[in-house]
Amino acid sequence: MNKLFKIVSLVSTLLLISIVTIWYHSLPKQLTLRFYPFLGNKPLVLNDERYTNPGGEGVFSIRDFQFFISNLMLINNGNNYTEQESYHLARFDVGKAFYEIMIPEISVFNYQQLIFNVGIDRKANGTIVFEGDLDPNSRMAWNWQVGYKFLLIEGSLFTQEKQQPLIYHIGFNESYTRLDFPLNSNTVSNDGIMKLKVDILVLFNQVEPIDMNETPKVKFYPEDVAKIANGFQYFITIM
Amino acid sequence: MPNLNSLVKVFFLSVVITVTSTYFFSMSKKPDTQLVEFTAPFIFGRFQIPKENPLTVESVKLGRRLFYDPLLSKNNKISCASCHKQSLAFTDGLALSVGGSGKKLAFNSMSLVNLMWGPKHFFWDGRSNSLENQALQPIVHIDEMDSNLDDLIEELSEVKAYQILFGQAYGELNAVSIAKALANFQRTLISSNSRYDQFLRGEVSLSKQEELGRKLFMAHPDTKISLRGGNCIDCHSQFLTSGFTAAFDGFSNNGLDNDENLSEGLYGLTKLESHRGLFKAPTLRNIAVTAPYMHDGRFKTLEEVLAHYNGGIKISKTLSPLIVEADNLANMQGEHISLNLEPHEVEAIISFLHTLTDESFLINKAFSDPFTAGDLNE
Repeated sequence: MNKLFKIVSLVSTLLLISIVTIWYHSLPKQLTLRFYPFLGNKPLVLNDERYTNPGGEGVFSIRDFQFFISNLMLINNGNNYTEQESYHLARFDVGKAFYEIMIPEISVFNYQQLIFNVGIDRKANGTIVFEGDLDPNSRMAWNWQVGYKFLLIEGSLFTQEKQQPLIYHIGFNESYTRLDFPLNSNTVSNDGIMKLKVDILVLFNQVEPIDMNETPKVKFYPEDVAKIANGFQYFITIM
Repeated sequence: MPNLNSLVKVFFLSVVITVTSTYFFSMSKKPDTQLVEFTAPFIFGRFQIPKENPLTVESVKLGRRLFYDPLLSKNNKISCASCHKQSLAFTDGLALSVGGSGKKLAFNSMSLVNLMWGPKHFFWDGRSNSLENQALQPIVHIDEMDSNLDDLIEELSEVKAYQILFGQAYGELNAVSIAKALANFQRTLISSNSRYDQFLRGEVSLSKQEELGRKLFMAHPDTKISLRGGNCIDCHSQFLTSGFTAAFDGFSNNGLDNDENLSEGLYGLTKLESHRGLFKAPTLRNIAVTAPYMHDGRFKTLEEVLAHYNGGIKISKTLSPLIVEADNLANMQGEHISLNLEPHEVEAIISFLHTLTDESFLINKAFSDPFTAGDLNE
């Protein structure tokens, strides 16, 4: 009896160790953030697709869409992970349907929360540094006295009367927006992938829908910039 | 006990093995090389030198000689320097370059400067994705240097100096090492001592007119906040003044032609309709000495260039929306697209463009013709 008990105990222990080991090794060891661009429920197709003007007559196309994500952190009750040189330029014109950020060598479910920001922090926006995707000689830099465009949308609006360019270059420190997402098995797949929807249309549908005829360009006029940047807080959601 | 005959045989065999192995070892040994020391302003940003082609003193010395050597052409009369003259910031002063065939080529000769930064696609239409890849194309082009690479290698192999230089730089003479050496010489063509550079370093002040020009250069106009701009920075980066580095951001359709006359441009490489008529935004460093301008050299002067942006834009499907939209007068753009700059603003921008001339670059001995500079024995 005593011998049988010992054998059962040993087998149970080994079985438990095996299960825990298998379970542990099946946990994601890296976090991959995939950003999928949309206009409402339609996936973004550059150049060829036309979308309805949110606040008025006509349809529009998008030639270029880029934005900065920065200062990415994973929160674990004080034992946080902070990404170094955390400046990512998300762009969608290089042959992939999504933009991807990978954080290697972490146990994803050790963390409860993901934090990143749309735009560039005040310090980096006001200095000449080459960190991550920051590049003062890039298309996203206005000039060293003004800082960076946080978001760039360029395209065309088509109405019965005319075609006109659409230019939305959104920057300024006031537009820098923090976003938080929970990290758990509902938001992250077993292979460590978190899918995020980036909805351009949200930016044009804040207090009231923006008529692109009336506001075909936004660059430096603060009130216009704020109208679009207010949407940054709802801009990216979990798919 | 072995006889004398056997000992002699063993001795000779060991000598043969030793000599042969030493020879093969020395042939396969990586040449002793020394990396080039150079400086560049940090505001130029990051750069990458291919791991398989380290920037060595030996490779640059070889590349410089090759660059100036007419042996590289079939008729032995044309070198790279025939179309890239140092005094003209490595351009040739022609609207369209002329090679060995005597025919006008499709493009204006591009300035060779600060090539480690800016777009990673070379030629006006971006058809080459590295300096190494670019280097051989004019050599074999039928209307340029028209060389057969096998013949060229044979010809270079007969020159004692090249036997030594290739041995020192790469250990062997072949098409790859020719391309690598030319690429590395071009990498050293760094211009960073113009008055604009000196201004950025705080060493000099710009004149009132130059400063106005600089501000206009750096601004996209926004009439809503009364910001006037020349819109140059939308295609030419603030420090490098070249096109942008990432992806194809450094290419643009700047309104030279309407749809009927639009050249392929970047479309030739990518086959994307949205790239039809897009050409590389060139560096503007030393722009005052690199006339005529644009990919086909259609504008003889900077005044003509500015006149183009100030009222000469032609509309096409891929025309940059940034050009269509850039207007210093509110709501004036219709069929007639213009920056609507005042004459004194045009003059100011041209004045600023002249601050990009780097006289020391144009006469830097390290970039000059080694055949006439007497540097061949250094």
